[in-house]
Amino acid sequence: MERGFPKPRTKEAADPGVGGQGLRRRRLSERKLALLFVTPALGLLALTLLWPLVLAVDLSLRDVRFIGKPGEFVGLANYTDVLGEARFWQSGLRSLIWVAGNAVVQTALALAAALVLHQSFPGVRIARVWVLLTWIVPTVVVVIIWRWLLSNSGGMINPLLVQAGLLEAPVGFFSSRESAMTTLVLINSWRWFPFVTLMILAALTRIPGDLDEAARMDGAGAWQRFRRITWPLLQPTLSVLLVVGTLLSFNVFDIIWLTTAGGPSGGTQTLPVLIYETAFKGYELSRAAAISVLTGLALMGFAIAASRSMTREEGA
Amino acid sequence: MTYKTTSSLTLSILLLGSGSALAQTELMLWHMEQPPHRVERVQELLDAFNAAHPDIVVTQEPQNWGEIYAKAPAALAAGNGPDLLFAIPDFAPILKEIGAVQDVGAFVGALDAKHDLLDSAVASYSYDNGVWAVPLYNMAMSLWYHKGAFEAAGLAVPKTWSEWQAATEKLTADGKYGIGLPASKGLYTDQVVYNFMVNNGASELYNADGTFAFDNPKTAESYAMAAALQKFSPPDSAGWFWGDAEACFASGTCASILQFTTITTYETQGGGDAAKLGVAPIPHADGESQHNTIAYANAVMLLSDDPAKRAAFETFISWLLEPANYGRFLNMEPGLFLPVTADGAKADSFWNDPLVQKYKPQIETMIANSANGMLFGFTNGRTFPSIAPISGQNVLSEVLQAVVIDGVDPAAAVAAGQVRMQDIAQ
Repeated sequence: MERGFPKPRTKEAADPGVGGQGLRRRRLSERKLALLFVTPALGLLALTLLWPLVLAVDLSLRDVRFIGKPGEFVGLANYTDVLGEARFWQSGLRSLIWVAGNAVVQTALALAAALVLHQSFPGVRIARVWVLLTWIVPTVVVVIIWRWLLSNSGGMINPLLVQAGLLEAPVGFFSSRESAMTTLVLINSWRWFPFVTLMILAALTRIPGDLDEAARMDGAGAWQRFRRITWPLLQPTLSVLLVVGTLLSFNVFDIIWLTTAGGPSGGTQTLPVLIYETAFKGYELSRAAAISVLTGLALMGFAIAASRSMTREEGA
Repeated sequence: MTYKTTSSLTLSILLLGSGSALAQTELMLWHMEQPPHRVERVQELLDAFNAAHPDIVVTQEPQNWGEIYAKAPAALAAGNGPDLLFAIPDFAPILKEIGAVQDVGAFVGALDAKHDLLDSAVASYSYDNGVWAVPLYNMAMSLWYHKGAFEAAGLAVPKTWSEWQAATEKLTADGKYGIGLPASKGLYTDQVVYNFMVNNGASELYNADGTFAFDNPKTAESYAMAAALQKFSPPDSAGWFWGDAEACFASGTCASILQFTTITTYETQGGGDAAKLGVAPIPHADGESQHNTIAYANAVMLLSDDPAKRAAFETFISWLLEPANYGRFLNMEPGLFLPVTADGAKADSFWNDPLVQKYKPQIETMIANSANGMLFGFTNGRTFPSIAPISGQNVLSEVLQAVVIDGVDPAAAVAAGQVRMQDIAQ
């Protein structure tokens, strides 16, 4: 009598002679079935994502200023104009600074928060929920809160810094290009670091506890354990976060527009802000579409390169 | 009565009823007065109008200033646009360029004959051989100040720039600032800067032929003065929007600001002592003799070419501008919206509002200041389509930021500003 689990009664099992062909045929039909399942989703994506993209490319090849006004076909003129504009490159550079600043600050904050929340202490469950609060507050509220806190008319931050001796006199946090960008990065990081914290916390819970325990028994200190065990095992998660975070940060518009409107003196005018200004303040829809297409291509290039790099790392 | 007679009578009544319903002209009004109390006041007026005019039904759909520049052209292109749309002067050329706005010159002429419309209010919508909107309410900037702060410093209200500079310098001490002047990139800063220009004989952005007149020594002097006063503003004023200046004034941190009104904020957050709230004309350059200000009228555009809708529009606006109704309309935000008609400025319906009564001297000064109002790009009947993107991209405040934040010489910044305007116009 056969012991254990019964073998599946498949066609291949019944007729080993045609196993290869049968397997191929079954895989083919599985593929067809899978395709059938994803077709509605693909159709929806094509309708909501691909079609607008096609329209944006078409718009960028015309000379449309206002919505609802027809435009003549101008070929690549908008692209050559945009690429020859200093504002485009300056905004691109600011976008890179914005992304890098957010990546560093958010990762540092999130890593610190995740390491603390990974410990066992009374109230850790409440703390894990509490840390999410800044993430769920609507952007408009975040902006109002921070503009008020940083204001010279009743804001708390300036008096606190003056009393602590860190400042001699109140300052304007949005009064110079550098301070405005720095302040915005901090505000945006404050808003988004809980999301990154959750991701890192999830990754931390997947690190086997016995590795840490073994290292501890071998006499490794906390820093050594973090450097040799935690950090390397967090790398796959951090790599994914780098790609997702870069794409998300790059496209942030609301918090910048509501806080500084791209000022002062263009100091926080990133590419999304430039696109909005060009389309809806400068009434140059086609030129804005050209900037959008160029930005989209750059982001797509980054995503593909990052994805390949991660695949290579996984393979190695 | 037989069954047949009864049926015929019922059918006739139904047909008559439906006939009158069919004859009703529907008007959809889009406006950007979004605060709930303003929407409520507009609805009260619409209900009253609709009840008095059974053949017309006006409905409102409040919109957002932040979205309307994109939404209105899109809606009109899709055939879902409103029949009536509120506007400010730099919004009208956009809709005119897409061919959506109707000329209302004859109607405005008739209203002027009856109510005596403010010339400057009509002027900013009069160009290209037409009048493109009916002015409804005016807004004009003034110098708002705390009387107590000036009295404590032994200062009189400044009339000239040299007096102004001396006063702001003296008032800036002990964590208080003589003036709150914005230097951010936005409409508020554009409008504040233009106050300096119009008080120094530099009101024109364009020459008669459409070339730019911005780059001139008077404009550079105006920017230099604005930058000089900006030094006596709070450090965060380079990032100010509308509410920040009012907050600074209401908290007493700023002794004075340039603003359309501070009445509501002062009443709710600044103590509300009307006797201590000062308002004055904006000081002029030492060589000038007249106090000018930025002022512009909000207006309503007709977007339908249907003769029935035009007739209904004229009936509705005529009703709204009647003194008995007009004051209630203006007081949807008491102390901010000023009358554009001579009889409206005397109407009981305007002056009977409790807040208007309390701040009557201030409002009378605001109305007097508005008489010398101008708006950049809409002076002397010379209006060119490029003013919309120039205003939209806040070129006037970009130039101030170059001076205040980047330390560029005012003359060089103004010259660069003109080049930017030329680029935009191309």
